[in-house]
Amino acid sequence: MNNDLSKKNESAPARAQKEDDRVLVRPRVDVFENATEYLVVADLPGVTKEALAVHFDDGELRIKGTRAGASPGQPLALEARVADYERAFAMPDGIDADRIEAELASGVLRVRLPKAAVKQARRISVRAG
Amino acid sequence: MSTRLTPMFANDFDRSFDLFDDFRRQMDRLFGDLDDRWAPARLSPTQLSASTWPRVNLFDAGAELVVTADVPGLTDKDIEITLHDGVLTLVGERKTAVPEGYQPHRQERGAYRFKRSFGLPAKVDPEKTSATVKDGVLEVKLAKAAEARPRQISVRAQG
Repeated sequence: MNNDLSKKNESAPARAQKEDDRVLVRPRVDVFENATEYLVVADLPGVTKEALAVHFDDGELRIKGTRAGASPGQPLALEARVADYERAFAMPDGIDADRIEAELASGVLRVRLPKAAVKQARRISVRAG
Repeated sequence: MSTRLTPMFANDFDRSFDLFDDFRRQMDRLFGDLDDRWAPARLSPTQLSASTWPRVNLFDAGAELVVTADVPGLTDKDIEITLHDGVLTLVGERKTAVPEGYQPHRQERGAYRFKRSFGLPAKVDPEKTSATVKDGVLEVKLAKAAEARPRQISVRAQG
């Protein structure tokens, strides 16, 4: 099993508090793999498609999302502050960058990273001679 | 009485999720200063744990109270909202699963069956409530009862 997605391959998170008192958090993610692709699923509540950036560069997948910060009123009790999201992963070699697809629905991002054809397992049919 | 969420399965990533934990500790400290009017569902730092889901915020928008909660992956059909005797209750379930045919490398997104109740700090009109779920965020609007709304008192100059 490919273990390239372990924590050591993850870039250090930005810890700096942003100026306007918003916090930057790493979104929670699931990472899956099958024979043909990697699938990264991230929780990004409050982020719209327009406020989301997904980049793949030099083998690194980077997800950045900004939430609309408008408060609906005077805060009486807060369990969660408005946070922006950022997270990056070093992906294994052999991703077909041109075919990466991302979809955002109900605050959940799904990024599909297909493996380049050469990396895919193939069954070689054997003909009788 | 507030009800803590019960994670459907225990996982250990919370311990390694440093930044997020820092964030939570800040939130927990913040909670120590909370207004008593959030009673009877006022949460103490010990009640607000890493498995508290969803996180809920309460706002006073003058004529109405607004409750928001981050519920990524859920739609309006997945959450049941009830209002009884001034207590707002959110019930629902978020499921997560390994997609068919895939191997998991990491799973941080928890599956939760949740029930959270909050005492509202003002009397609301049960007939004038609305709830929407958009981009994974629940927003419940509760119109205050007439006697609980802010009033503008006009001051006349004398003489």
